[in-house]
Formats: sequence, C-alpha cells, structure tokens
Amino acid sequence: MSKIACFVEKYNFADPREEGALQKFKLAAEKQGSEFHFLFREDISEIPKYDAVFIRATTDPLNTAYVVSKTAWELGLKVIDDPESITICGNKIHQYALFGKYNVPSIPTMFLKKDELHHKKISDVFEAFGKPVVIKAPYTSFSRYVEKAACETSFRNVAKRFFRKSDVLAIQKFTPTAFDWRVGVLNNDVLYVCKYMIPKGKWKPGAKLRGKPTVVWGRTVSFRRREMPARLSEAALKACSVIGKGLYGVDIKEVNGDFVVVEVNDNPSIYAGYEDSSDHDIYRRIIAYLSE
Amino acid sequence: MKPATFLDSSIKEATLNINNEYRYLKTGYYVSMHAEVLGNRVIPSCENIIDSSRTPIFLLRAAKAGVPTLPVLVTDSVKKIMNELGFPVLLFAVNPFIYDGYKVACNKSALYRAMKSLGMNYKFAICAQPLKGELSAVKTYFGKTFSQDSSTQEIAEKVFKTFRIPLCKLCIQKTVDKAYLCGLQPVSKEELSEQDLQIISKEILLISEQGEAFGV
Repeated sequence: MSKIACFVEKYNFADPREEGALQKFKLAAEKQGSEFHFLFREDISEIPKYDAVFIRATTDPLNTAYVVSKTAWELGLKVIDDPESITICGNKIHQYALFGKYNVPSIPTMFLKKDELHHKKISDVFEAFGKPVVIKAPYTSFSRYVEKAACETSFRNVAKRFFRKSDVLAIQKFTPTAFDWRVGVLNNDVLYVCKYMIPKGKWKPGAKLRGKPTVVWGRTVSFRRREMPARLSEAALKACSVIGKGLYGVDIKEVNGDFVVVEVNDNPSIYAGYEDSSDHDIYRRIIAYLSE
Repeated sequence: MKPATFLDSSIKEATLNINNEYRYLKTGYYVSMHAEVLGNRVIPSCENIIDSSRTPIFLLRAAKAGVPTLPVLVTDSVKKIMNELGFPVLLFAVNPFIYDGYKVACNKSALYRAMKSLGMNYKFAICAQPLKGELSAVKTYFGKTFSQDSSTQEIAEKVFKTFRIPLCKLCIQKTVDKAYLCGLQPVSKEELSEQDLQIISKEILLISEQGEAFGV
C-alpha cells in the first residue's frame, strides 16, 4: 500500500475530459489499495509524506513542477516525470542533439544560434530544407512556439521572437501529413496508440484560426496497442530509450511508409475518452508503475 | 575558445565552461549541454545549472551535502508563511521569468507586495525562509572567496564541491554564532573587478595544469 501524490495546478481541472482522467487515476489507485491525493502548489512541503509523485501540471525546467520532481527525486521517491526527462523533453535542442548522437530516425533538423541570424545562413537553411521550414523554440508544447516560415522576412520575424528566451533554436524540414501518430510509452513499453488528426487546411494538431485567438484541435482517433505497425513501436521505443524510463508521448510522422520521430514529450496529455478509449488499462498500469 | 565555436565543434575532451551567468536556455547553458551530449566531462553540468537556479532544490541539495541552511517553505499562500515562519522573512522567486531577485519582508503589507512581485501577481509559488541574521552576498570563484570569515569560506567550498558552478554569488545570512546559506545568484560582468579576473585566470591555469583541457 503506497501513498501517491498527484501534483496538479488549477488549470488541470479546467477541461472536464482531463478532470475525468484524473478521477480515473484516483479510482485505479484506490482499487489497487493505494492512496491518491491531489497535491497543489501550496502543499509542496508535504512531499516527504508520500511514496510516489505523479506530475500532471505542465513540466518545464523553469516551472514549479520541476521543483516538485527534483525534490521528490532527491528524497528517493518514485516520480513521473523524473527530473532528467523534464530536462531533456523540456528542451527540444537537447533532445534533437541526443537523437543525432544515437541515430534515432527523426525529422531533418538544424540548430540556429542567436548570432547566426543573417542572410547567408537563412539562404543555407532554405537551400537545405526547401521552403517553407518549421522553426521551433526549445520549450514548445501543445503546438505552441512552432511556426513555419516561407521567406526570409517571416523567418527573421519568428526567429527574433523565439530568440528572446532561448539562444538556440531548432529548424526543421516542413513535412505536411494528415495526422501525427501519438504513441504513449511507459518504462520502455507501449501504453497506448492514437492518431492526432490535423485540422483541415492546417499543418499542426493545434492550429489557430486566422485572426482568431482560439485554437482548433484535430480529432483523436485511438487504436489498440496490438494492432499498431511493428515499425511504429520500434521507432517510438528507440526514441524513448535515449531519454529515460518514464512516461512519454512520442509524436511520429509517417512519410512515404517510413516512421520518423517528430519529438518525445514528457507529461503527455491523457484525456478521458481520448487516449484511453482503446486500451482501458492505461490508468492501472501507470499507478502500478508508481506503486512498485 | 569562444562559446559559438565550441557549439559548432565536436571536441571530445573535458570541458570547463566559464561564464558570468548560466541561465537556462542561454549560451552558458547550451555550452554545457553540448558538452554533455558529446559525452564530455563538463563543469558545470546541466543538472547543476538548473538546480542551482531553483532555490528550494539548491538548498535541499546543499543541506544534504552538509551546508547549514534554514527551513524553507515553497508556497503561494501568504497565510502559510505568516503562520509557519513569521517575520522578518526572506523571499526568493521560483518562476520562469525572474532569475536573480530576492526580497525581504518585515511586515504583512511588505509580504503581500513581495509575493505579488516575485510571484508575478500570485501566478507562481515563491520560496520563503526565515531571516535571522545579517544578509550578505559573497562572490565566489571555484569555491574560493575574499571573505575573512571561516564559516562563509566553508560554505563556498561545499557548494562548489556539490554544484561545480565556477563563478557565482552566494547569498548568506550570519547570526551571532553561525552562517546559513540562502541562495545562489549569477554575477554580472560589471561586478567583476580586475582583482577578481586575476584570481579567475589563476584558478583556470591551476586546473588546466592538472591535466584538464577546456573550452570557452
């Protein structure tokens, strides 16, 4: 019997689908005889009372979630997401550098340093990847801070904006597809598989309507684990193996029959009735991993 | 070697990354990251860069290494701080935007104001600790300080042993009989005097003579 703390922020309860998933985690834990408590920001000093911490608030090395994760780690608790995963997944530059080192099949990527924003380099980029290219800030999540640029002017505009926070950016080849595969991985094992459909006429799962602040999301179509293509799980597990043993959501694009990794995310979103609709045991398996 | 040249290279040797600030996502951080991905031994590591800028983790790890610290509270609740710590209280920001600020609050209204500014209008948690003695900022280079005080010197050495941050400023509070570590901050370029730079280059020479190659 173990005590699990689930670190959440208020926004985790804003969406009824996400709240539903959180309640399912609680139920799964209680079924297995574990205690499951929500831990809010003001209770961070209570971490030592628990045996495991499950983080659902958005993670970034600069967020409170990292403080929670590292504190739990230092105290010897079981943590999802562990501090190392947050560091690597929270910084896509770090992640792509590791992909390059271990030959993970991923989208062609270049790094752009702050002092390289000049005509020569930009034309090199366009020459190598064609037009348009995708510019990614290292701290991207939920399709934010990923933009495409088709000419030097817009390239400079986007890059300048992203350079305000980071001294290095990632430039990727533009690869339009109708959907992204999303593979949930826990402890080097596939947990769930689904397709994040890309809204019509857009190029990323969460796209803005022109001139409107609201974001439209594509549908989520889930599949059974055992029905997934073998090469898809291979690519997902290979990408996760260079990062760690936690819980990840791998984005993969299918290009001409090949599976290429777009990115690995820690803290993948799990919504009731979406990611869990084909394999219902995902809650049980995550809780079992935490209370091991 | 310049940071930009190093980031383009694939030198596989021990790396010493010297910079006045190691802010996350800034060049100082990427140099360490690049060295780590190459598999080099690097001072400081990415982990230590991030941890040393997050005050609660910094103090937790320092305490584990035997550095005297005071109990900290990470919260966004003013009431909790008043009930558990009282006044005066020392506050550090724990958010993505402020990286070198701290405030002292002696009464309720000052505490509210400090929480508002360090917590970005109550959006983020802050890290609070009791203020018992006199607060001072001590510049340290490779664990060495100009301080005459032996307990301050000891703290600086232990912090360097744990975090390996070559240049930084330590926030230390001294009571009548003891010194406590409170936080770590970057040193700005303007704060480095001629004398400081001499010591730094002497230290670097010493380290490289011990057989470590380095970049930057």
